[in-house]
Amino acid sequence: MSYVCLWSPSWPTGADFPAELVAAVLQHSPRISVGDGGRVWADARGLTLGQLAEQLLIVSHEHGYDDVHAGAALTPIAAEVSAMQSTSPLVIVKPGNDRTFIAPYPLAVLEPQEPVADLLDGLGILTCGALAALDAEAIEVRLGYEGVRLWQRARADDDRWIFRAPIRALPSASLEWVEYGLKDPERLLFVINSLVGAICTSLIERGERAKEIALVFSLGNRTQRTHLVRSSRPSSEQKRWMRLIREALDTLTLPDAVTGVALRVESVTGNDGAQGDLFDRGFASAHIVEDAIIELTDDLGDVVVVPQNSAHPLVEEQTNWIPTMGGGRSAMGLGPAAGGGRRAAEHPSLTLQLLPTPKVVTVTTESRRDHEVPTRYLDENEWHDIIEAAGPDRVSGGQWSASYAREYFRCVREDGTMVWLFRGASQSSDWFLHGWWD
Amino acid sequence: MSTSIAALRALIEQRFPDATPLTQRTTEQVETGISALDGILPNGGLPRGRFSAWAPFGAATAILRAACDSAVDKGERAAWIDSDNIVAGAFWTDTVLLVRPKSRIHALRAAEELLRSGGFALLVIAGAGPQGTEVKRLTSAAHIGGAALVAITSGPASASLRLESRLLRYRWRRTPFGDPAIAQDATVRVRARTPGWNRHADFSIPVRHHELRLSLESELADRRGLPR
Repeated sequence: MSYVCLWSPSWPTGADFPAELVAAVLQHSPRISVGDGGRVWADARGLTLGQLAEQLLIVSHEHGYDDVHAGAALTPIAAEVSAMQSTSPLVIVKPGNDRTFIAPYPLAVLEPQEPVADLLDGLGILTCGALAALDAEAIEVRLGYEGVRLWQRARADDDRWIFRAPIRALPSASLEWVEYGLKDPERLLFVINSLVGAICTSLIERGERAKEIALVFSLGNRTQRTHLVRSSRPSSEQKRWMRLIREALDTLTLPDAVTGVALRVESVTGNDGAQGDLFDRGFASAHIVEDAIIELTDDLGDVVVVPQNSAHPLVEEQTNWIPTMGGGRSAMGLGPAAGGGRRAAEHPSLTLQLLPTPKVVTVTTESRRDHEVPTRYLDENEWHDIIEAAGPDRVSGGQWSASYAREYFRCVREDGTMVWLFRGASQSSDWFLHGWWD
Repeated sequence: MSTSIAALRALIEQRFPDATPLTQRTTEQVETGISALDGILPNGGLPRGRFSAWAPFGAATAILRAACDSAVDKGERAAWIDSDNIVAGAFWTDTVLLVRPKSRIHALRAAEELLRSGGFALLVIAGAGPQGTEVKRLTSAAHIGGAALVAITSGPASASLRLESRLLRYRWRRTPFGDPAIAQDATVRVRARTPGWNRHADFSIPVRHHELRLSLESELADRRGLPR
């Protein structure tokens, strides 16, 4: 960074600073900051420091401020001291000499807080150079945080933010027509397509991708209708946004003819790419899969999911299906071969397949010691004989919310399929088919 | 006569490579990772770019899920479309892409999209058997994407490879009374059929049980883990 500090004892700073002077100064430097105490800062980054300082002095003189002093340096403190303390109207501090330059000046140029200034005065430290020569630890122990800040500035180690980061307006595009109202959706799409094109071009130039675009329709009845279009994945592709907008328009009914359309990007993200192993075979195709999954999510909703399991006693309450954007590990990770090191091949095992909700079935039973076991059940008008039944496995609980008590049986049908039946043992004694092993 | 038949066959193979019987071993395959099963498949695995139909039940899900895991283990991707939403979360590993569509049509659209992407070695549709032109569309997508497509369905006869499996018997651990307590494993017979090919294999697979939090009496409230 490099700074030019303009200082005058006569000009008003803050809100009263003359606007025409700001406009004139801005023609020479892209960023100007009006500070307090008669200081005005100009950003000299990328510009010739001395030349800029001279130009700013000339501009100030042209606007009637003849007593303006200018200081130019690589640090704000050196620029400030050179402008305010020097008798010469223009002082340029050579790069790398900032600390040396401010060393002979009294500590007052650093504007220390009164208690710290008194302490330093008592210690006999009167100049910036004397303070800068001390150890950081000695300062920290005796003078605390404020003392360290002052010490840093005495060493021309000034990290003040003179210029705020500029707020960049997000891309937008609009078109209005007054002679007629548009009712034909195809013509409307034609207009929107060109606006989306302009927005996407702007996004690409900025290296950003839009997450959300607001579609604002100006209507013939002098009202506006805003519709937000979101993409599952941030994008700067015109094709993708047009597809999403077309789908949104299919479900949108407007009360009057359209007399103008505005598109406004509501939120953006940077062009961050996924990181991965270049030697992973799947990494090269990960983006293709990710695109396909995003497409699926856009078309069909949150259909790509991963389970989040809990220890709930009821198996149908255990799993919460969480949508995954971009497919998660299954789209990117590609398993052990991708991560190095192979695992032993998975052996198949019969696992439980669960009906979304248990289905009521008719069951005939027979006695086995102290309980009844199923012998056959009727499901969708078909009787299935049971050749072996293990159980009952009893689960109960939920008295503090919705109570349940079940007796589960693992039953093998005559065709070899093992099914999971249970009998309600509390409020209802119906039999249910809950799932099967497959 | 035989010369003209051979020439005709060569011409058909050249113009319609997808129509070539699997027994000619012209297609690539996705190995299931189960050697006994791979041994009875015409190509030594599930054929890529083709549509295979596996009849429901009889450990079809277990075997195909193992095939998906095997594909992932080899550094490829696999997807599972659970049209009936019957996958139990407790038994699912997130290495295989799981799609839970809301309808049969959504299931088929999802299958086509994923197959066309070319990023998957194996895609299984469970519960939404494609029919008629749907088979043609999905086969075309599988051919473009180079994936093996398997549907757990008893429907279409136009599948390149038809598989069916049946659980023959279980090995039980029994109670002191001689009643069945825990099924340890089951013997499964898988039969693979395609024109000019009909083979079967038997092998055993373990049974995974769901760990229930059991209570001693059905009427007794399960208050374990709750503050007293």
